[in-house]
Amino acid sequence: MEQLINMLMVVILLTNLLLLGSSRMGTCIPTLGFQGILLGLALPVLLFLPQGITTHILVLVLITIPLRGILFPFILFRVIRKTNIQREIEPFISYPVSIFLGILALVLAFWMNSRLTGMSVPSLHPLLLPVAFYTILVGLILIVSRKLAINQVLGYIVMENGMYVLGIAFAGEVHLLLELGVLMDVFVAVFVMSIAIYRISREFDHIDVNQLQNLKD
Amino acid sequence: MEDGLILWALLVIPFLGGFCCILSSKGFTIRWIACATVWTMLATAFVSLWIVSIEGAIQAAHGWLFLDMLSSYHVVLLQVVFALSTLFAKSYFPAEIAHNAFNSALLPRYGMLWLSALGAMNLVFVSNNIGIMWVGVEATTLITAFLICIHVTPKSLEAMWKYLIMCSVGVALAFIGTMLVGAAGGNLKGSHSQSLLWTFLYENAGSLNPFFMKMAFLFLVVGYGTKAGFAPMHSWLPDAHSQAPAPVSALFSGFLLSTAFYCIMRYLPLVEMATGKTGWAMDILVFFGLFSIIIAAAFMVFQQDIKRLLAYSSIEHIGIMAVGLGLGGVGTFAALFHLLNHSMGKPLCFFSAGKLVQIYGTNSIYRIKNALKITPVWATGFFLSFLALIGMAPFAIFMSKFQILKAIIEKADYISLALFLFGCAVVFISALRYMLLILWGESEANIHPQKAYKKDIFLVAFPMLVLLILGLFMPEFLQNILQKAANIIQGY
Repeated sequence: MEQLINMLMVVILLTNLLLLGSSRMGTCIPTLGFQGILLGLALPVLLFLPQGITTHILVLVLITIPLRGILFPFILFRVIRKTNIQREIEPFISYPVSIFLGILALVLAFWMNSRLTGMSVPSLHPLLLPVAFYTILVGLILIVSRKLAINQVLGYIVMENGMYVLGIAFAGEVHLLLELGVLMDVFVAVFVMSIAIYRISREFDHIDVNQLQNLKD
Repeated sequence: MEDGLILWALLVIPFLGGFCCILSSKGFTIRWIACATVWTMLATAFVSLWIVSIEGAIQAAHGWLFLDMLSSYHVVLLQVVFALSTLFAKSYFPAEIAHNAFNSALLPRYGMLWLSALGAMNLVFVSNNIGIMWVGVEATTLITAFLICIHVTPKSLEAMWKYLIMCSVGVALAFIGTMLVGAAGGNLKGSHSQSLLWTFLYENAGSLNPFFMKMAFLFLVVGYGTKAGFAPMHSWLPDAHSQAPAPVSALFSGFLLSTAFYCIMRYLPLVEMATGKTGWAMDILVFFGLFSIIIAAAFMVFQQDIKRLLAYSSIEHIGIMAVGLGLGGVGTFAALFHLLNHSMGKPLCFFSAGKLVQIYGTNSIYRIKNALKITPVWATGFFLSFLALIGMAPFAIFMSKFQILKAIIEKADYISLALFLFGCAVVFISALRYMLLILWGESEANIHPQKAYKKDIFLVAFPMLVLLILGLFMPEFLQNILQKAANIIQGY
């Protein structure tokens, strides 16, 4: 059991590295969906299995998986199809540098964790916090280092995935109502962002954030 | 039970109004629904303030909804700003439609977004659960994003995208802070569902884990500060304010920033009490406040866009409030008073600027000239409200700035004093220079003088009268309200 959870954590870490290193949206989006399924199904089930599966967990799993695992990737693919953008990612920084930053982020995440442990936080699993921090950091790197608006949305979803883990790590079972509120916000955010991208592509014929520089002092 | 009903009313009525908007198709019906909703909300807000001032804090939904003097004060101000902006929108959009700048077929959708934004902001104020409060703040970002690009232009889309990404990421950081606060209360006794309730944390603030609270506060200030417009996280703000239509800019500046700032106000006493009232969190606020004032002043000197000028002025005022809050004592009181004054003056300023932009067809300060001849009402409104905002004497903003200044002097913090005075002086001089150009400068363009309507005169006169009266004397009931709200922040 313990080994299974450890393996799961490592796989989540690896999906993050894959997101940083891959050059095609065709790889990134399924990876994101896979990460969503891992977070939505495996994590709560494995962590809370000793306490028995409650309706709370069941409802959460039934909502998280369709949302993070299926709907978000579907929306992203749809945006790509609708906007006719090329599927290359176009980073500001090269892929090796991205991976290097990713490894730095991993070190940082474990360092942050080492500062926090022993601070009387009842943690469900020792790897939970570093995985959460790491996923959030990777999301931030994806947001700032990529040129296309769609990659920023992808980064935002990764960051939200990390925050979901963080919520489990810190608060354990958060009240269902709060959890649903957060999920609804994330869903609407992705929805609104994809409409925004669609509008930008219609107006500009591209979705290159680097070229959005009309407004300045 | 009946008390709790009013909390539900504050939440449900705006969304209901928004829903009715999307069902109807005629411009007339939508305007009517919007006005009815907003005026009902205004009445509801005043009733809630009355109940709170008599009975103290009220709760509903097992303590998840909650209204005390601090939030009640904010709720009333929000409804006033909303009512004024809706009134202004009624005269602003028909002119836009006449200029072909706005497609009236989109009216139901924007009516819905407008009223839902009100509902989301009310959710921030009435929720006792700090997680739900976060949900409310994020919801305001998502709902208001499309209000920025009502006029679909490349620039407005760019502004909308920046706003959406920066505020979403910023507010996501605030979520980490919220979770850390939850973790800081991890060893408290009490049922699990209580651990994120603000009232529960407030009662047990002394035994929260100080290290976690400090970490949390950093995330919260940066996160909610992005939305409140603290420098250096402010870069979305001038873009969004300059591209949004005037009623939306007025709402953003008048209360969206304050909504995020309110969240910081809620956390301040928790952090201060957890860390043993050492003033650690308050110093951070003073730092961000002064930094915002200086940055805003620097950008106002060479500004060419009239609405960007006002946006930077908003950053300055949020900075002033942060300084007041960070000083404590008289400063907290003054910061809350300043909030009222700013949300009276700034919307009027944006209304007038919006009308000027509409009449002249340009945002550039150097091309809006001789306004006093062409549109006397709005030029006067712009002149008086901007004069009040930069701190001219008989108006109330002078009083609140003066009180904050007094609080700085009492603390004998001379570096802050120098920075504060320098920033305000630079803003004063540069604003005055632009104002003279706009009002009396020689105009080459041939623009016909505009007719003044009674409604316009009301929109100009009402906020200015409030500012003038409050500047001359402060009524006792307002003093009581402000004092009670300030006491909550200071943790008495």
